[in-house]
Amino acid sequence: MSFEPKIVGFLCNWCSYTGADLAGTSRIQYMPNIRIIRVMCSARIDPTFVMKALVDGADGVLICGCHPGDCHYSEGNYKAMRRYPLLKKLLADFGIEDERVRLEWVSASEGQRFADLVNDMTERIRALGPSRIRGTLQIDKNER
Amino acid sequence: MKECKIGVYICNCGSNIARVIDCEAVREFVSHLPQVTIARTYRYMCSNPGQEMIAQDIKENGLDRVVVAACSPRMHERTFRNAIQTAGLNPYMLEMANIREQCSWVHKDAAAATEKAKALARAAVLRVVNHEALERMSVDMCPQTLIIGGGMAGMTAALELADANQRVYLVEKKALLGGNLGRVDLTAPYLDSARDLITERITRVRNNPNITVMLDAQVKELKGYVGNFTAAIQQNGGQQKEAVEVKIGNVVVCTGYQEFDANRITHYGYGKLPNVITSFEFELMLRAGRIQTKEGKIPQYVAIVHCVGSRSQEFHGYCSRVCCMTALKYVHEIKSAIPKCYVSDLYIDMHAFGKGHEDFYRHTLDVKTMFLMYGKNEHPVVRRADPGDDCEMFIEVDEKLSGEVIEIPADLVILMVGMETRPDSVDVARLVNISQDKEGWFIESHPKLDPVATTTDGIYIAGTCAAPKDIPDTVAQARAASARILARVARGKIDVDAVFAEIDENYCSGCRMCNELCPYSAIEFDEKKKRSHVISALCKACGACVSSCPSGAIKGRHFTDRQIYSQIEGVLL
Repeated sequence: MSFEPKIVGFLCNWCSYTGADLAGTSRIQYMPNIRIIRVMCSARIDPTFVMKALVDGADGVLICGCHPGDCHYSEGNYKAMRRYPLLKKLLADFGIEDERVRLEWVSASEGQRFADLVNDMTERIRALGPSRIRGTLQIDKNER
Repeated sequence: MKECKIGVYICNCGSNIARVIDCEAVREFVSHLPQVTIARTYRYMCSNPGQEMIAQDIKENGLDRVVVAACSPRMHERTFRNAIQTAGLNPYMLEMANIREQCSWVHKDAAAATEKAKALARAAVLRVVNHEALERMSVDMCPQTLIIGGGMAGMTAALELADANQRVYLVEKKALLGGNLGRVDLTAPYLDSARDLITERITRVRNNPNITVMLDAQVKELKGYVGNFTAAIQQNGGQQKEAVEVKIGNVVVCTGYQEFDANRITHYGYGKLPNVITSFEFELMLRAGRIQTKEGKIPQYVAIVHCVGSRSQEFHGYCSRVCCMTALKYVHEIKSAIPKCYVSDLYIDMHAFGKGHEDFYRHTLDVKTMFLMYGKNEHPVVRRADPGDDCEMFIEVDEKLSGEVIEIPADLVILMVGMETRPDSVDVARLVNISQDKEGWFIESHPKLDPVATTTDGIYIAGTCAAPKDIPDTVAQARAASARILARVARGKIDVDAVFAEIDENYCSGCRMCNELCPYSAIEFDEKKKRSHVISALCKACGACVSSCPSGAIKGRHFTDRQIYSQIEGVLL
């Protein structure tokens, strides 16, 4: 059996999750490898969420927020954008391939773009093979 | 581990979900998960019997948490929260798994979709274990309303509210009320005067003491939340330079449309041939009472071209909805002014969907009009006639019903320009924090069930700013938006979401990092205690502070780390 990657998507409620819903209402087909977790804003996405997903068995993580300038909370996506390079640096230190984690902007009207993104990411990670980081780290649970 | 009794409800959504996903297999799978007391499938979980089934299970089996695997939470989270609340549960003890929009509608592979649905349902089960009962805050609803845009929609909404004795601020960017309808002569299909319609509105708006009309004005800033907004309105000109601040509870956006710029299409010769004009230029002519060419001659041949900028791959894909009937209106107006005039009507499809429209279409056939059908994404070509011809121009059209290429004479060509969004609609969307679709129209909360509300509570949309529509639909929406607002004003109080951030002072180190991060200045620093705290009424729950607190002292209610962690574990089946 060919390798089917597991991808966890963290999507902001207002643009990207709505865009993913639009892909559904428009019946735009994409690969079933992604599992979406809704957060209110991309700024809520704690780097530990991404780490935890990778450690728990995700082969890739897709982070989606509103396009720059379009954030429902005016600038949350900029916060996500600034946090992202730091996270990538950390991931590189752990030996996690660059392509496994991706930050993209998807608006509420971009159902097709979301579908294309999922397909593209699925293909790339399928080519990359399973993640080796699974189960190697312990994420300290914040009790709040 | 916490002891819970969870009920899981998997919706078939008719065949929308069940066609692809094996709902019974999902049910079987979740029924074996720890803490799941009961798991059921049902045809339509959102229907009354579906909701009652959940409520009954809660009472009979003492369920304390509910998972509904169905459509998007954006669709029915509120429905199911209310359903579990009626059975005595806290509304936040619910979690939804989106197995329709994000699963059955986007995947054809039944086995893979079923596996994905299991993972999403499991994530919801694991998450709901960590849910906490939250109490909603009740705040006062300011009865005043701000209306942006003084066209048909804005004025109608204003009158509806003012007649119910509520205070309204009506802000119009231009120096006069009336909007695009103020530029129209007669209306279809009954050929009554648009000016009469609009003058009646303007007079009533002007004379109503409850309505403050602000012309030549723009809303510069909108702060606050439903029931308690503050708007800064800048009036241009005059002495006043300072923006006026008003307190309002709700906003109705009625910013309308602009007409398609005919210069963007070259094959009709607009801008080059003087007697090729737009529908709005023709309205001007009609209002002046004389149909004539640029040279001042009475036209012998008039041609009307439909779908200019609409229903095309190149420009706008959508139908502008009013142009077909407006074109037929022109036929009647031309024929009554110049009975001997030959009128040809070049259309793609005749959209006569409204009340009285088919009859109107039939009457137009009686007044001898030549209807010529051209193909979608094709276009008739207008050229200047030669000297000696008895007309100004010729139009070549590949006529679909006859299958022949036909050339027709024209002295005047009227282009039925479609509707498009205003270029500043993006500023309006940002101002009031609502979304736009791919064409730029404002997005409604639900296209069928909630067409005038938006995803931002307290912001309503009416008229053509949401999509092209005719006068009756515009008026209906304006009145619907007002009715929604009046219902809330009548209650006097409003429950605001219990989802906001809170800071545990025992863990806060007083670093003040969150103070700067908050886009709403909702975090205050207590100088005495040297700790930060959240003003919950101002917090909009984005969670930016939560994920940036170095001490982990901030909890994003209903989106806690623990809840999201358990969801991550759940999806990685």
